[in-house]
Amino acid sequence: MSRLGLRFLPALVASSLSTGHALGQAVEQNDALVWLQRIADAARELNYTGTFVYQHGDQVETSRITHFVDRSGEYEKLETLDGPRREIIRTNSEVLTFFADTQLVKREKRSTRRTFPALLPEQLSSLTAHYQLRKGVQERIAGYDSQALVLEPRDEFRYGHKLWAEIKTGLLLKARMLNERREVMEQFHFTQVQINAPLTRDAVKPGFAVPAPDSSPSLPPAAAAADTGWTVRNRPAGFKKIMELRRTKQGGQVQVAHLVYSDGLAAVSVFIEPLPPSRNVAEGLSQQGAVTIYTKSLSDQLVTVLGETPPVTVMQIGDSVGLKGRQ
Amino acid sequence: MDKISQLMDGELGRGESKAQIERLERDASLLQGWETYHVIRDALRREVGLSSDFGRRLHARLEQEPVVIARRARLAHHLARYTLPIAAGVAGVTLVAWLALSFQGAGPPKGEIVAQLPASAPATPAGKQGAVPTNAGVKDYLMAHQEFSPSTAMQGVASYVRTVSSDEPNAR
Repeated sequence: MSRLGLRFLPALVASSLSTGHALGQAVEQNDALVWLQRIADAARELNYTGTFVYQHGDQVETSRITHFVDRSGEYEKLETLDGPRREIIRTNSEVLTFFADTQLVKREKRSTRRTFPALLPEQLSSLTAHYQLRKGVQERIAGYDSQALVLEPRDEFRYGHKLWAEIKTGLLLKARMLNERREVMEQFHFTQVQINAPLTRDAVKPGFAVPAPDSSPSLPPAAAAADTGWTVRNRPAGFKKIMELRRTKQGGQVQVAHLVYSDGLAAVSVFIEPLPPSRNVAEGLSQQGAVTIYTKSLSDQLVTVLGETPPVTVMQIGDSVGLKGRQ
Repeated sequence: MDKISQLMDGELGRGESKAQIERLERDASLLQGWETYHVIRDALRREVGLSSDFGRRLHARLEQEPVVIARRARLAHHLARYTLPIAAGVAGVTLVAWLALSFQGAGPPKGEIVAQLPASAPATPAGKQGAVPTNAGVKDYLMAHQEFSPSTAMQGVASYVRTVSSDEPNAR
């Protein structure tokens, strides 16, 4: 400790007697934030391949995952090992999903902007406003020593998280989302993983014939993409808009507005589209793992809100969707 | 709200229930609370699809039958199924890219591709078509959402498993 530090030590000790708890918490929070950043970096930068178990509700599903990085970018491959074979290939520009039983390939173009190149510092600091962060104990997972992190929500608008990161590399080995009754909503858990595996591009090659993209049919003019015109008036605390875009579906015939809100740890997407002509849609709530889905009609529009949050969050967002400039 | 909660759980006597229902009829915010309780509770029990305007319809019913208590009202709806037209009865490799993107001021919009390629595998019996995700529209929205989810930043493509996970909550 420096001389300056020693000189002020008595005062520091005295003040920490009263604020020691708060000080300890702040240090603990910062420590946990550093771990979160390490996790995000590891997810992007490491080559790894392994088997993980995805649990939600009373279901357990096993998948194999491979992540490969070289100068040209990131490549990821996910194959389900239980049930019908599905394969997801994620590259810099797109996500392909292959359904082996129906021989269906879905192609989803990725945004040109990388929204989450990392958890940004401002995102990390806003996290502490809405979650209590602390380090948990060290545990052994999939043969590796890991550091547990606990993120407890400060209100009812978000779930709790528990994360286990490999000590040396920061790779996320296990992740769990908990509701307000501390019930597990969803869990990812590596059972076996090789970190810094000696991989080549072959390891992330699609196991199916990738259909060549067809020429694009005409699309609405780009001007229509400037602003969707929609907004969410009554956002739960901490949820900021991180993206607003326009999508088209069914060959460009249907336009869908897509708005994304996030508190740094959970995200909620809002999709707004014209009600289908049949108007045969069931409104209400449903659940997919930790993702809650809320569907409602708003005059002649269909609003679908989904996110890894409790029902109250997607409902509050869905119920306050409106056109900008109108009350 | 305590009494309303008791009413919802069917814990009140006949006279008290009637009084609470009359309160619900008078107080719109109370009615909204009642409605939200039900929707949330049903979602937690995985009784999906309870309509958000349930309260309004309940209110209409209450006006006709003041002593009816909708103790465990639920609707056997499933989630909206906007079936992809292309998903029905198609054999062979099919490419679907129905959610095209165009960004605010981010250059020309990306192309939308819906193409059907020649069959490269034996035709799938029609009976197996049910294996296409039933709530196809919502799964596609989940896919579109995933890219912006911080969980993807932390665990990469692993979190995309949600988009191909099986639908039946009770299947094992």
